[in-house]
Amino acid sequence: MDCQCCNKKPARIRICDVEENNIGEQINVCPDCFNLIKRYMFDITKPLMTTPDVIREVQGLLTAGETSLATLPEPGGITPVGKEPVPVCPDCGMSLSEFRARGRFGCPRDYEVFAEHLDPLFERIHDVQPARHQGHLPEKTAGEEVVQRRQTVADLRKRLDAAVAEENYELAARLRDQIAELEAQPKAEERS
Amino acid sequence: MNEAFENFPHILGEWLKGTGPDSDIVVSTRVRFARNVRGFPFTGRASDAQRSDVLKLCEDALKQVHLDRSVVTLELDKLPELKRDVLVERHLISRELASGEGPRGVTFGRGEMLSIMINEEDHLRLQWIKSGFDVDRAFHALCKVDRALEKTLPYATSDRYGYLTACPTNVGTGMRVSVMVHLPALTLKENIDQVFKAAQRMNHAVRGLYGEGTRAFGDMYQISNQTTLGRSEEQIVEAIKAIVPKILEFERQRRGQLYTEDRSFVEDKVLRSLALLRSARRLNVQEMMSHLSMLRLGVDLGIISDVPVRTLNELFILGQPSHLQESEGRVLPASERDTRRAELVRSRLAAGSN
Repeated sequence: MDCQCCNKKPARIRICDVEENNIGEQINVCPDCFNLIKRYMFDITKPLMTTPDVIREVQGLLTAGETSLATLPEPGGITPVGKEPVPVCPDCGMSLSEFRARGRFGCPRDYEVFAEHLDPLFERIHDVQPARHQGHLPEKTAGEEVVQRRQTVADLRKRLDAAVAEENYELAARLRDQIAELEAQPKAEERS
Repeated sequence: MNEAFENFPHILGEWLKGTGPDSDIVVSTRVRFARNVRGFPFTGRASDAQRSDVLKLCEDALKQVHLDRSVVTLELDKLPELKRDVLVERHLISRELASGEGPRGVTFGRGEMLSIMINEEDHLRLQWIKSGFDVDRAFHALCKVDRALEKTLPYATSDRYGYLTACPTNVGTGMRVSVMVHLPALTLKENIDQVFKAAQRMNHAVRGLYGEGTRAFGDMYQISNQTTLGRSEEQIVEAIKAIVPKILEFERQRRGQLYTEDRSFVEDKVLRSLALLRSARRLNVQEMMSHLSMLRLGVDLGIISDVPVRTLNELFILGQPSHLQESEGRVLPASERDTRRAELVRSRLAAGSN
């Protein structure tokens, strides 16, 4: 049997869509087309499609030739190196291609780092245009001091460790007192 | 704190009481918000030390908002698997949180209406469950908790995308409304697919009893909004309030039809289920749930009068595998669970027991 995608090479792989307990249409393809189909299906920027729809898209790419095939992400959703700049989040180390493969962000900052790639994705997922938040937001400064205090304490701890390592006990004692003071603050607030 | 947990299998959540608007079809209404704490990676990318920091920050913030005197807080990494599974069957935590790793926890009120998961996919998942179809009350109750928390806990947000979440499907409001409905007539009449497709066209999903990817045992389904960005919380509430009544009307119409046109068929089904549940010596979960479903239908159609809906709702939960094992205090093999389940159902449905 010939591949139902390229209609040239012999079919070796059967794909079927499963929905709940029903098996949908079964399609036989060759290994080469299977690879392209896989790459198309796992591209997170594309809408979720049935196999027959994916095959139509891949057939379109096959007739269009080599250059359009290069736009497909590699299997597993990794964009070909050098084809596109790959932004990486400085906070959590997540790259755009890793985000695409996992479908999950690593940290809040990813939303800024990948900003220019997100609108089309959000517009599709949330079926809305423009992809802008419309609901409630807390005040910007809410809870800010909690974060600042936590970061300050973390910094002081690091300096304390360094001071102890250097056997600078005078500095270590001062740092220890500062940490104790900062950590006591929430309790003081509770009492008031 | 642990005392409350010891009582667990005996005190069931308020939301199971079988009251509230449209409780002939709607079991419960649940609203949840996904929230994350600024300055930390999302749970999936956080180290154990960071997860532990988040857990501590959230627990401290929860203490400050004085939710309720009877709040129970459990650290899940210190809890045995069986107890975690009980919480899942209770809808207090998700399967993901139960089977997750590292420091994580849950806080819930004694009535089990409020539950707050810490270090699930997002740092915080706040949810409020009400009995019946009661979106407004569930939404406002949860808003109160959220607004109190946001004063002490710095949430990760942006002006552009709202509440930032680990999964792009939750960004924006981070809000999901899920309405648990019992649709036996639509299932019997094979109209369920129509409901699925209509809901989907309006950006709402219909899922099984325990959420994503689970099957609809006992004709129980969850209807929920699929989109969270670009619409306000109020718009999400309004949308679900527009869609669910249409499904309820469809189900009621089919129930009426069954009763007027196929009376002996539906009576036969309901009364056979009652006889079976009152006699069976072994019941697996699926069997129990499908027959309980017929009983619930029978109560609504007036075919059965001596079984309260609350009993049926409770059996749906108490007959689940982990609840049975928890009340026995040990892990039971499947065959023994089936025997215990049949005993439980017989005793709760015995004539005159209610």
